[in-house]
Amino acid sequence: MKTIKRNLSPATLTRLAAALLLPFSAFAAPTDGSKIPALYQENCASCHGADLGGFIAPALNADTLKGRSLTSLRTLTMAGSFDTLMPPFYGRLADDDIRGLVSYLKATPKQANPAWTLEDIKASVKVYVKDESTLPAKPTYQIDDINNIIGVAARGKYGRGEGSKAVFINSVTHQVIGEIPTGTAAHIIDYDPANPRWAYVKNDSAELFKIDLYSMQIVRSVKTGFNGPSLGVSRDGKYIMAGSYVPHNAVILDANTLEPLKTFELEGIDPDGKQVSSDSGMIIGTPFADIFAIALENAGQVWVVDLKEGFPVTRIENVGRHLHDAFLSHGGSKLMVASYDDSIVTAIDLKDRKIIKKLEAGCVPHVGGGSVVEVDGRTLGFGTNFGDCDKMVVSVWDLDKMEVVKQVPVSGGTESPAAHANAPYVAVDIISKDRRARTVQLIDKKSLEVVKTLDVGGHAYFPEYSADGKFLYISAGYNGDEVVVYDSNSLEKIASIAMESPAGIFSHGRVRYMTRGLSPDELTKRDGDKGAK
Amino acid sequence: MNRLALLSALTLGLLSFNPVNAAVIYAGKEKAIAVCSHCHGMIKPSVDAPFPSLAGRDLTYLKSALAQYRDKTRKNDLMNALAGSLTDNDISNIAAYYAGLKIK
Repeated sequence: MKTIKRNLSPATLTRLAAALLLPFSAFAAPTDGSKIPALYQENCASCHGADLGGFIAPALNADTLKGRSLTSLRTLTMAGSFDTLMPPFYGRLADDDIRGLVSYLKATPKQANPAWTLEDIKASVKVYVKDESTLPAKPTYQIDDINNIIGVAARGKYGRGEGSKAVFINSVTHQVIGEIPTGTAAHIIDYDPANPRWAYVKNDSAELFKIDLYSMQIVRSVKTGFNGPSLGVSRDGKYIMAGSYVPHNAVILDANTLEPLKTFELEGIDPDGKQVSSDSGMIIGTPFADIFAIALENAGQVWVVDLKEGFPVTRIENVGRHLHDAFLSHGGSKLMVASYDDSIVTAIDLKDRKIIKKLEAGCVPHVGGGSVVEVDGRTLGFGTNFGDCDKMVVSVWDLDKMEVVKQVPVSGGTESPAAHANAPYVAVDIISKDRRARTVQLIDKKSLEVVKTLDVGGHAYFPEYSADGKFLYISAGYNGDEVVVYDSNSLEKIASIAMESPAGIFSHGRVRYMTRGLSPDELTKRDGDKGAK
Repeated sequence: MNRLALLSALTLGLLSFNPVNAAVIYAGKEKAIAVCSHCHGMIKPSVDAPFPSLAGRDLTYLKSALAQYRDKTRKNDLMNALAGSLTDNDISNIAAYYAGLKIK
């Protein structure tokens, strides 16, 4: 998910606005003003931020809404916004409540970052299955290999409700094998690399669910903050780390019980010398060591947390301006971190805990889960860039030499690349806000040229290969309402799986190949090189 | 394939193909994406939505309902606004798209 705070762009709803422009004598304060903040929290906050500061959707407060007319805001709320995830609230919220909401938002400044402490996190743990020994010893459904599971974060039309769930699919048969309701939109799914039965799902209100994949049910849950997409699992499966935008902290949890062990206040000196409080960017565990790496978005730092007594932190400063996501290569010892505002991707050596090099990317690099492929003796990293600018490219770097190989021209901004050792193409999702958003482009691994464009429909994004590399899964998100499956070689459409606003797609195979595109054998070999730890 | 074979294949293809129906559904899908799907979904509306499902509904009903919304003989602010700009062709195409959908 493109998690960026931006200003509301004017929607082209003039036709509707005209029709809905009912007499608007007075935007009177609602008779019961006190229920409006609660309505905001229940209907809007998971996308627009509990603090009115924005999350995956724009900030809505007195500052950002200055100059916007109440009528146009009301129309937008009623009708939704085409080409975005904003749903129509017509029929869901009473007209008076919509009026009350827009008046409230226009008059209210962004709220202070609310606290969510270790004690709050601890008190939020819910236990759904008390005795885990009662869980089945193997999957209760037919599946040859648990790595064939693909999880899809279905947002649900309203970003909450019955449509919001994590959907698990057998990527050999393309049949749904389990659905886990998540309350608000599921955002990220991660898997335990050590024990195949556990999956972790985080939703847009920062609730984290521990899922038993064998019986397809929630075992425990915890609320780690108010929002924030980041989530990592340690290589031994013992720890989880989750980070928030609201408030500005991250927490390490015991993966078994989801009890919090330590929280981290995210702050530091940014590359321009300013002390800042920071959103949590990506968090990643690595097969290389017993550590987590976390990107501090605004502070421009990467912290390496050792998973030992006291969880000590090594701070790597001056990584870039506005960090977001990252991917691993070289057995998990090298970390490639995207920096939005510098249009670079910074390579970090996790062994020496130092910056190796800052590599040129496109505009606003958003690498998603990244991709790494071995071609003709070279290790190539692929990075997507979601900015709309003159130079729309997918960046390709040689990760051994740490240099740019090519900036591959593509038809628009891109959000997430997918690759597989057994598939010939690197798939990138075009997200530019017009018909191009329906498409995914395929870059030939060898020629590094776009060789094909798929018209998937919806807002096509988050491509992902099945663990065997035979199938390419793509979310036709927003209003597309299906996940479309293609044959990786012939690119013929094989199947369609209906769900509401599907977004991120996460193959269980990722625990074997670490970063998409690498061969599982390669990881095993590198593991052998450094010796079992 | 040599040229002649290609040409005859193309000709045959054209003859055996009913361009009207195919075009209608394709164009209807495009319009549905742009105008209807935000509330009614491309396949079905959200389980949380107050909007009716259109997939598999009777073709004639869909056409007449859309025409009534457009002509404001059936009143609903939102539907009157959205259907207001649809042409007769748009209405036939959209109705053909949704009527032809099968819900699993």
